[in-house]
Amino acid sequence: MLRNFVLIIGLVIIIVAVYFPTRHARHYSYIKVENVASEIEWNAPAEPRSKNCSYENLILNNVDIDIRSIYDYREFEAPLKGGEHKPKGCAPLIKTALIVPYRNRATHLEIFLNYMHHFLQNQRIHYQIFIVDQNDTLPFNRAKMLNYGAKVAIEMDYSCLILHDVDLIPINTGNIYGCSKMPRHMSSSLDTFRYNLPYLTLFGGAVAILSSQYKRVNGMSNKFYGWGAEDDDFYRRLIANGIMPCRFSPEVSRYTMLPHMKEMASAERFTVLTQVKEQHKLDGLSSLSDNIVIKPKNLYTHIIAS
Amino acid sequence: MATIQDRLRIPWNGGAKQIAFDAVLPVFTIPAMLLLASISLWWTIFTFSTVVIFLALISRFFIKNIPHTKFFFVWTLTSLIILYFIFEFVVIPFLEILLEENIALSVLIFGFVMSVYLMKKRSKELSSIAESQRDCKEGDRIESCNICQTKLPSRDHHCLWFDCCIGNHNRCLFISALFFATSALSYSSNLTLTSVCHPFTLYRTILLPDDCSDVYKLFELGLSFVSAVYSLAVAAILLLLFLRELILVSLGITAKEWKKLPLTSKLCLGIFTNRPHSKGFCQNWAEIMCWSGRHSYEQFNQEV
Repeated sequence: MLRNFVLIIGLVIIIVAVYFPTRHARHYSYIKVENVASEIEWNAPAEPRSKNCSYENLILNNVDIDIRSIYDYREFEAPLKGGEHKPKGCAPLIKTALIVPYRNRATHLEIFLNYMHHFLQNQRIHYQIFIVDQNDTLPFNRAKMLNYGAKVAIEMDYSCLILHDVDLIPINTGNIYGCSKMPRHMSSSLDTFRYNLPYLTLFGGAVAILSSQYKRVNGMSNKFYGWGAEDDDFYRRLIANGIMPCRFSPEVSRYTMLPHMKEMASAERFTVLTQVKEQHKLDGLSSLSDNIVIKPKNLYTHIIAS
Repeated sequence: MATIQDRLRIPWNGGAKQIAFDAVLPVFTIPAMLLLASISLWWTIFTFSTVVIFLALISRFFIKNIPHTKFFFVWTLTSLIILYFIFEFVVIPFLEILLEENIALSVLIFGFVMSVYLMKKRSKELSSIAESQRDCKEGDRIESCNICQTKLPSRDHHCLWFDCCIGNHNRCLFISALFFATSALSYSSNLTLTSVCHPFTLYRTILLPDDCSDVYKLFELGLSFVSAVYSLAVAAILLLLFLRELILVSLGITAKEWKKLPLTSKLCLGIFTNRPHSKGFCQNWAEIMCWSGRHSYEQFNQEV
């Protein structure tokens, strides 16, 4: 009797441990494609007399792009110096700064720029690409680079920031590169994760956030060197400020990752994560040095930081 | 022969327990194979082909010298446990597999385990009935098995890997075990490969791996990858056996009769050959599907 009881209890514990939801990829709540337009934070058109650009067709009639074709050379209109582009013939309702932290991945950058200019021009939005290059010998500090990029973009009066990794390629044309009312995790359906979401609080890869919200949470922490956990800290900052991030339908959130070696996660990332917990006000956008050089190039604005 | 008689003892609750050397061999061979194979592509090719050769040689030796060996059954059991553990504790923590996918796989594995359990149980029950009929003459379809040392009505063959005689009494369960094993192995290898490799979608629904070039760079990835390759290879073999079983049952012939058929009639799937025991397609299937112990026992007595 007792033996059976112990056996059943043991079995239940094992089953719960094996099938515990957090051990698996997660289903998540998302905004449906037909509600995307009402969630986007539209800009007032700059020239009220001209016709506004329309985005409805783009979002509702979205199609997937063949992943094998992402390496192909694509024709696009030459952007203005510094990688800025405004659609011709209509007034854009979206103005986005695409901020890409970068170090030493020339082949990825080439593919990324070629693909993204074509992709974004197709969306008929006003955008500018910022490549933030870490120019020192320390481990890569993704969050700090994003802070520098955001700082420059905010000074240039961009109200919407998209924080984007250089190895991520959006493969659905309906994935609109504008900000939603709440910060948005854009890369929720990534091919290397089997198009699943590993955990609910994941907030890395590609993220869209309003400049006002980014300033409110004091940006990201500058203290995460090496791979990992800086996005988890960013998520905590948003929650601590009462900002609930959102996601769009997986249908439009499909991304592919350009092939590269998986980086070793930084060993101290969790220690740093607990250390910076109480320092949101002191560490971030407000604690950046002015030690940057801005160089407008043909396809992007190059920000060299250290 | 002295080495075969050599028995190992392991400390056990209530005195040392005797363990046959041949039965514990797979417990060391399979983990060693998977660990070595996860080093690099060349190690994978080398270890897997070595194991195939090793199995071919040792199975001939065992069948000749120790017919009652548990080697093959322990191999099946060890494979099942190790593959399941790798899946649950190496592949699942990559956080790329959904809960319902894990549950679906568990259901398939449960189906396989239950089929094998019932198959062996039925075989034991029937052979204990047959035990009392020891003196009976061998009818043309009552065969004795020199591995189980029993006589069984409508015996087909002895499956070494399940350590069990297969006949009309458990053929249905044998086929379902093959079905569940094939599905579970191919499904788990697909889940694993799409997790550790770069996947692509076929017709926007089916996820398949396309680029596995980075798997040997990390131990966990390599181990998952080779376990998936092993699963896939076993699944391919089991699928062939499953299809063969379907044909044999539909034709109403035993594995032995099939072997004796000339190549030409094998190519025609044996449809035109003389099959004295076949009762027609539907009746053949009905016989194995609706097997009940009592009915068969009566038949057994009648035939005797």
